[in-house]
Amino acid sequence: MFWKALIVGLIGVFAMFDSRLLGRENFEQPLIVSTLVGLALGDPAKGLMVGATLQLVSMGIVAVGAATPPDMVLGSVVASAFAILSNTSAQAALTVALPVAVLGQMIGIVVRMLFSSFNQLANKAIDAGKFKKARSYHIVYGPIIYALLYFVPIFLAIFLGTNAVSSFVKLIPAWLTNGLTLASKILPAYGFALLMSTMIDKKNAVYLFLGFFIAAYGKMSVISVAIFAVILVVILNKFMSGNDNNNTQPSSSDSLDDLEEL
Amino acid sequence: MAEQKHTDKRLRHKFSQFFWRAWAIQTSWNYESQMNMGFMYGMAPTIDEIYGENPDTPEKLQKKKDAYHRHMAFFNCTPQLTSFVLGLSSAMEEEYAANPDTFDPESINSVKTSLMGPLSGIGDSFFQGTIKIIAFGLGINMAQQGNLFGPILAMIISIIPSAIVTYWGGKWGYLQGKKNIQKLISNGTINRIMSLMNVIGLMVIGAMIATMIGITTPIKFGKSFVLQTTLDSIFPQMLPLAFTFGMFYLIKKKVNTAWIMVICIVGGILLSVLGIFN
Repeated sequence: MFWKALIVGLIGVFAMFDSRLLGRENFEQPLIVSTLVGLALGDPAKGLMVGATLQLVSMGIVAVGAATPPDMVLGSVVASAFAILSNTSAQAALTVALPVAVLGQMIGIVVRMLFSSFNQLANKAIDAGKFKKARSYHIVYGPIIYALLYFVPIFLAIFLGTNAVSSFVKLIPAWLTNGLTLASKILPAYGFALLMSTMIDKKNAVYLFLGFFIAAYGKMSVISVAIFAVILVVILNKFMSGNDNNNTQPSSSDSLDDLEEL
Repeated sequence: MAEQKHTDKRLRHKFSQFFWRAWAIQTSWNYESQMNMGFMYGMAPTIDEIYGENPDTPEKLQKKKDAYHRHMAFFNCTPQLTSFVLGLSSAMEEEYAANPDTFDPESINSVKTSLMGPLSGIGDSFFQGTIKIIAFGLGINMAQQGNLFGPILAMIISIIPSAIVTYWGGKWGYLQGKKNIQKLISNGTINRIMSLMNVIGLMVIGAMIATMIGITTPIKFGKSFVLQTTLDSIFPQMLPLAFTFGMFYLIKKKVNTAWIMVICIVGGILLSVLGIFN
C-alpha cells in the first residue's frame, strides 16, 4: 500500500503542476487524472469509467479571474483510487470526489492567501538587491508548497484507507460546504471587479453594461460577446479614422481627440 | 554570418524563455496581485540581460530594482497569451534602456494592463471553454466505450493549440514590439489601440459577470412570491452584477485585500446559512 500511495500521490502532484507550471494543458482534468491512476493501480478500464463520469460533472467548472473552483484534481485522484482499491462503482466514487474537491478548494484558498504575503517578502528582497531570492518565492517556494499540500493528503488518504477519508469528509457539515460554495461565487465577482478597476472610467463604463446585457438577456456565451466586441471595435475604429479623413487638420492630434470622446 | 547565427540563437533562447515562463506563471498565484510574481519571473531574464547579473554602477542597480518592482504590479491573464505580453514588455524594456530620456517606463505597465483584460477574456473562454469542451467531449465519448485513446486524444487536442499560441505569441509580441513600439507611441496609435482594447475588455468582463458568477436568492414568501423570479423579470443576472459592483466599491475605497477575502468567505458562509443567497 505504501508504494501505491506514493505513486498516486505523485500523480496528484503532477496533475496539480499542470495548471501551475504548464499553463493548464488539461492534464489536471478528471479524465486524464483518473486514467493515470487506473494505469498506476493496474485497472485502466475502471480508471477510464470513473474519469468519464467525473469529467462530465466538472465540465462546467471554468477557472477564471479570482475563482477557486472545487478542486477536481484532489477530488478525482482520491475518488478514482477509492473506486479501484475498494472495487466500487464510478457513481460511488462521485460521492467521494465532490466533498474531497471542496476540501481541496479550501486548501487552495489558504495557499492563495499565504502567497499574498510573499509579495511583501519579494519586494523586500528586490530592495535589498537580492534578485535571485525574489524570483525564488515564485519558482522555488511556490511549487514546493503546492507539492507538499497535495502529496501529503493524497498519500495519507490512500495509505490510511479510503474509509478514513470518507468518514472525515462526512464530518464536514453541509452548511460549511454550502457557505464555501457561495463564497466561491463571490470571489470571482471580486476578480472581475479587480479587472474592471484597471480599465473602467466614466466614458467607457457603458461598454461593460453592453457586454453584460447582451450576455444576460441573450443568454450568449463569453466568446460570442467577445466576437461582437471585436466587430464593434472595428466599426469604432473606422468611424474614428473616417473623421480624420474629413478633417483638414493633422490627423494624429485628431485621432487622439476622438479617443477622448470614447 | 557568425554574428547573425549568434543573434538567432539568442532570440530562440529568448522565445523559449517566454514560452516556459508564461506556462509557469501561476505557481505563486495569490489573491492580492494574482500573477504578479510570475510576470516578474518572466521578465527577469530580459531585465538581467539589460542591466547585468550584478550591475556595476549604483544607477544601473537602481534601474534594475525599479524594473523588477515595475513587473511586480497586479497581473492576470491566460498563461498561453501571457507570452505575448512578456514578449511585448521585454521589447519595451529594451527600448526604455536604449532611450531612457524619451521613453516613459510607465507606458509599459499601462500597455500590460490594457492587454490583460481582453486577452484573458478571450483566452480563458477559448482554452478553458471551446478547446476543453471539444477535447473532452470527444474524449469522454471514447472513454465511455472503454477506449484508452480517449484521454490521449483529449490531450493532443488540448496541447497543440496551447503550445502554438504560447510560442508564436511570445515571438510575435517581441518582434512586433521591437519594430513598431516606438512608432506606435510617438504617433498616438497606442492610445487608440489601448482604448479600443478597453472596449473589448469591458464587454467581455460584462459578459463574464452575466455568465460565470450565478449567485441567486432562495427567498420566497408563501407560494406565490419568489424573489428570484421578480428579480429576473426586472433584468436577469441582477445579483451577480450587484455583487461585482459591491466589490468594485470596496476596491475603490482601497479596502485591504485581506479584508475583502475575509468578507467574501465569512460573508459567503453567513449569507448562505441565513438563506439569503445561494
